[in-house]
Amino acid sequence: MSNVCEDQIFSSIFKAHSKTVFNYIYYKFGNAEKANDAVQEAFVKLWENCAKVSPEKAKSYVYTVANNLYLNVIKAEKVRLKYANSVDDHSSNLSPEFLMEEKQYREKLENALNELPENQRTTFLLNRIDGKKYAEIAEMEGVSIKAIEKRMHLALKSLREQIDGI
Amino acid sequence: MQENYLAKWLNGELSEEELAEFKKSDEYASYQKLKEVSSTLKAPDFDMDQAFERINEERMGQTPKVITLNPFKKFLKVAAVIAIMLAGSYFYLNTLDESISTQFAERTEVTLPDNSEIFLNADSQISYSKKNWDKERNVSLNGEAFFKVAKGKKFTVATDHGTVAVLGTQFNVENRKSFFEVTCYEGLVSVAFNNQETKLPAGSSFLVINGKLVDTSQPKEAQPSWMNNESSFEGIPLEYVFAELERQFNVHVKTENINTALLFTGTFNNTDLNMALKSISTPSQIHYKLEGDNVLFYAGNTPQ
Repeated sequence: MSNVCEDQIFSSIFKAHSKTVFNYIYYKFGNAEKANDAVQEAFVKLWENCAKVSPEKAKSYVYTVANNLYLNVIKAEKVRLKYANSVDDHSSNLSPEFLMEEKQYREKLENALNELPENQRTTFLLNRIDGKKYAEIAEMEGVSIKAIEKRMHLALKSLREQIDGI
Repeated sequence: MQENYLAKWLNGELSEEELAEFKKSDEYASYQKLKEVSSTLKAPDFDMDQAFERINEERMGQTPKVITLNPFKKFLKVAAVIAIMLAGSYFYLNTLDESISTQFAERTEVTLPDNSEIFLNADSQISYSKKNWDKERNVSLNGEAFFKVAKGKKFTVATDHGTVAVLGTQFNVENRKSFFEVTCYEGLVSVAFNNQETKLPAGSSFLVINGKLVDTSQPKEAQPSWMNNESSFEGIPLEYVFAELERQFNVHVKTENINTALLFTGTFNNTDLNMALKSISTPSQIHYKLEGDNVLFYAGNTPQ
C-alpha cells in the first residue's frame, strides 16, 4: 500500500498541490509571504502525520491546515495579480487607444476583485486562474457545490457592476 | 432564468434557450469581456523547488530533535523532583509517631517492635514512637484496646483519664467519653487515676464512670469478651451499652422515654445486629425499631 511517508509519494503530492495551496492563501489574504509560509506549514504537518493521513486524504488535509493557519488572524491586503501577455505579444498592430482601454479595464478589474468579499474572490480566482471545478473548490472550502455556485454568481455580478460603474 | 445562472453560464451549463435569452440581455457583452480577461490573470510566482527544499530541511532536522533529547530531559527533571520529595518525606515521617486507628464496626491488630500485641476495638486509636521504643514503651490510647505486653521494661498506656503501667501482662483498657475501665487478665497492672495509684492483680477490674470509681465484678474469661465478638456488661448504665452498640455496628441509636442510667447486665453479639438488639431489649423490657442505620429504643408499645 502506498504511504505518504514514502519520499516519492510525498514529493508527488507536493508537486501536485503546493502551487494551489499557495494561490489559495494568496487569493484570501493577498500576502505572498504568508502564502509561502502556509505551504511550508501545511506540508511539514503532512509529513509529521504521514502515517495517519492516506494519500487520498492528503489533498484536503493540506488545504485544511493552510486555511486554519490564518483563520481570522491576518487582514486581507490588496491582491496583486499578473496578466498573461497574450494580447500584447500577438497584436502589436493594435491601435494605442485599444491598448490603453485594455490597460484601464484591467486596472478596474483588479480594483473590483479587491472589493469582493474574501470567499467570493477566492472562489472566482481558483476557477479562473487555477481552472478548479466548482466541486473541487467546494471540497477545499468545506462547503456545498451550490454555495460555491452562489459565490461565483455573486462575484460575477458585483465585478460587472463595479467595472461598468453601476 | 435559473438560480446562479452566471455561475452556470461560466461553466457552460446553461441550456440553449437560456443561453440565447442571456445573450440578448444588455449585460451579456460585459460578462463576456469579464470572462475573457479574467482567464488571462495570473497569480504571483511561486518557487516550488525552493519551497520543497525548505520543507526537506525541516523534515531532516526534525527527527533527532524530537525523539532523543526532549523526553530524557523531561524524565530527569521529574525524577529529580520525585527523589527530593521522597527523601524529604522519609526524614519527616521518621520523626512522627506511628498511629493506628479503627473506624466504627472495625477491628485491627497491631504488633509493636518488641512483639507486644495490641488488639484495637471499634472506633479506637493508638499512637507510639517507633524510634524511641527501645528507650520507653509508651502508647497513648483513645478508645478500647486489649494489650498482650511482652516482658521487659515498664510499659505505659496513657489515656486522658489516667495512666496504666505494667511490666509484662495481658490487660484491656477502655477509654471512652466519661468511661474508663481497665481489666487485668494476667500479671499486675498499675493504674494511676486522679493522682492515686491502684494495683490491679490478675482477674480484677478498675472502672470509672463520670469521674466516680465504681465497684465491678471480676472478669470470668481469660480475655475481654469483644475478642470473641461479644460485648459484655456487668451493671453498666444503658447509655454506655448503646454507645458500644453504635461502635460495633456503625449505627445511630436514639431513645424515647428510656432511663439510660439503668444498669444493664448481659452480653450482645458483635456480628448479628438483630440478635444484639434482642439481647439488649429483652432483659431491659424495652422495645426497638430498626430502620436502615437508625435504631430507636422506646418504652411502651408504639413509637411516637
